[in-house]
Amino acid sequence: MLKKIIYLFLFFSVGTPLFASAEDGAKLIEYWYIVLPFVVLLLMIATGPLFYHHFWERHYPKVAIALGSVTVLFYLIVLHDTHSLVHTLAEYLSFIALLSSLFVASGGILIKVDRKATPALNVLILLFGSVISNVIGTTGASMLLIRPFIKINKDRIKPYHIVFFIFSVSNIGGALTPIGDPPLFLGFLRGVEFFWVIQHVWYIWAPTLLVVLGIFFVIDSLNKLGSNSESEYTGKIQFKGLKNIWFLAIIIISVFLDPGVVSWIPSLSPMPFGIREIIMFSVVYFSYKKADQEALRGNEFDFEPIREVAYLFAGLFATMIPALQLIAYEANIFGDELDAGLFFWATGSLSAFLDNAPTYLNFLSAEMGKFAMDVNDKSEVLLFEIEHPIYLQAISVAAVFFGAMSYIGNAPNFMVKSISERAGIQMPSFFGFMIKYSIPILLPIFILVWWIFFYGNG
Amino acid sequence: MRTIDEVLKSKINGMHYGNRLLLPFCAEILKVSIEDDLIMDFSTEQDDAEYNINDEFTEIYFHKYKSLEEVVTKYEVIKMIVVDSKNDLFNFDDHRKISIDILPNHIAEIKEIEDDQIFID
Repeated sequence: MLKKIIYLFLFFSVGTPLFASAEDGAKLIEYWYIVLPFVVLLLMIATGPLFYHHFWERHYPKVAIALGSVTVLFYLIVLHDTHSLVHTLAEYLSFIALLSSLFVASGGILIKVDRKATPALNVLILLFGSVISNVIGTTGASMLLIRPFIKINKDRIKPYHIVFFIFSVSNIGGALTPIGDPPLFLGFLRGVEFFWVIQHVWYIWAPTLLVVLGIFFVIDSLNKLGSNSESEYTGKIQFKGLKNIWFLAIIIISVFLDPGVVSWIPSLSPMPFGIREIIMFSVVYFSYKKADQEALRGNEFDFEPIREVAYLFAGLFATMIPALQLIAYEANIFGDELDAGLFFWATGSLSAFLDNAPTYLNFLSAEMGKFAMDVNDKSEVLLFEIEHPIYLQAISVAAVFFGAMSYIGNAPNFMVKSISERAGIQMPSFFGFMIKYSIPILLPIFILVWWIFFYGNG
Repeated sequence: MRTIDEVLKSKINGMHYGNRLLLPFCAEILKVSIEDDLIMDFSTEQDDAEYNINDEFTEIYFHKYKSLEEVVTKYEVIKMIVVDSKNDLFNFDDHRKISIDILPNHIAEIKEIEDDQIFID
């Protein structure tokens, strides 16, 4: 019974299979309990910051590493499978190299805007942030813009300003490229073409974002706070640490430096990293060492947010190996019953509360399992995006969009909340965020997205 | 008893010992931002922080942390909204925004909040 419950949980909450290939999944069936570390870690990530934050803040690195070690030891000792581990380590290094380099490089740039906020200017900033989040990631764009956004609204700021920033810049905006949001980057690492996302998602992204920003404009127009403010504004926009733009450019170029994408790039195999990762980690070091001290101070730069992501994702990447393989296996069996709409809701509902990156990967594995394809084989991923684009579209959109549904849906959400609270803004609680904002505003929009683009498809 | 103005003008430092912060003036504390915490409830119902106003200084205990030096890193500060004990708590013009750098050797450097450091009342 417990076994069935866990499968059901994994199938509908994680995407379904635990193993990347159905063959591996079949082998794992008798060891179904090895998915427990993954389930425990996801539940702790969701509940730790809310219900036992003192313990969680102090011990999350140990929890993540301990749970990850259980899975690693199982693969080494019981399955004698080092291939899956090395493959996962390489993927983790690519992932953390991109996130940490974007985080550090953008953290060294300070934008100072001395202008009076208006609803139209706010919408423009959110739109700009949403677009550039596809170039420097939702993390980078959030880090860069949240402080100037708060600053120009300082006489009239309310929690909804931050909430809509999280909706647009930190989440929905980044749905167009693999750099935009971690789930899409994981898809890119697995073989989804870089420009496939923008080609297949822009016409869902644009109307969704416009509706969200339209609602923001109406609410912001009703906010009369600060209209009698005597503050004087020079209208100036100043930048500090602009040299870090070059580091951002290096990161973006290096994303393509993959032997699988550019043939002349040497592979460093059997090392679990390549030229790309070396460049990105070098950017972390040099962009921090060479950063403008005033910009770092103005941004109250701290490594803790990226340290947290590094530890938690080390645990997640390790523990989800069996989850991916089992999901593929289960999807092979139940595939006929699953359409694109179901994948949209399954990916979305889990991305709202669990981290959207592993959720995306699990559902990609499930979708491919439905068509007897293996998510670990890049050529099969390429074939899948050509033959069944609606499925990939559904999970790409859902994983990114639904990350905005709660504080824990996407890494930048908590970072933006934390920066806002450091600026003295009292943010809504976890449930307050959902009840007052994401459920009444975003959920109806996402239902429309499903109805227009995915209902009855696949 | 020093006022906040005197402390800022004369650049008099406070002190920190473990999770205890000592400020060389007497003031009511309205709001504190430290790390990811925004503290406004100093009542005994909450265990995040408490403060006491003594004859010559104000002390704050951040119960959540063992050592302020470990928590407040190089580019971070503790931000506060304080009101001099001699002034009118209910006059918003008397609300002062200060930042505190946690430095080695128990030194807590007190400054007026800089333009880049946003802190909303």
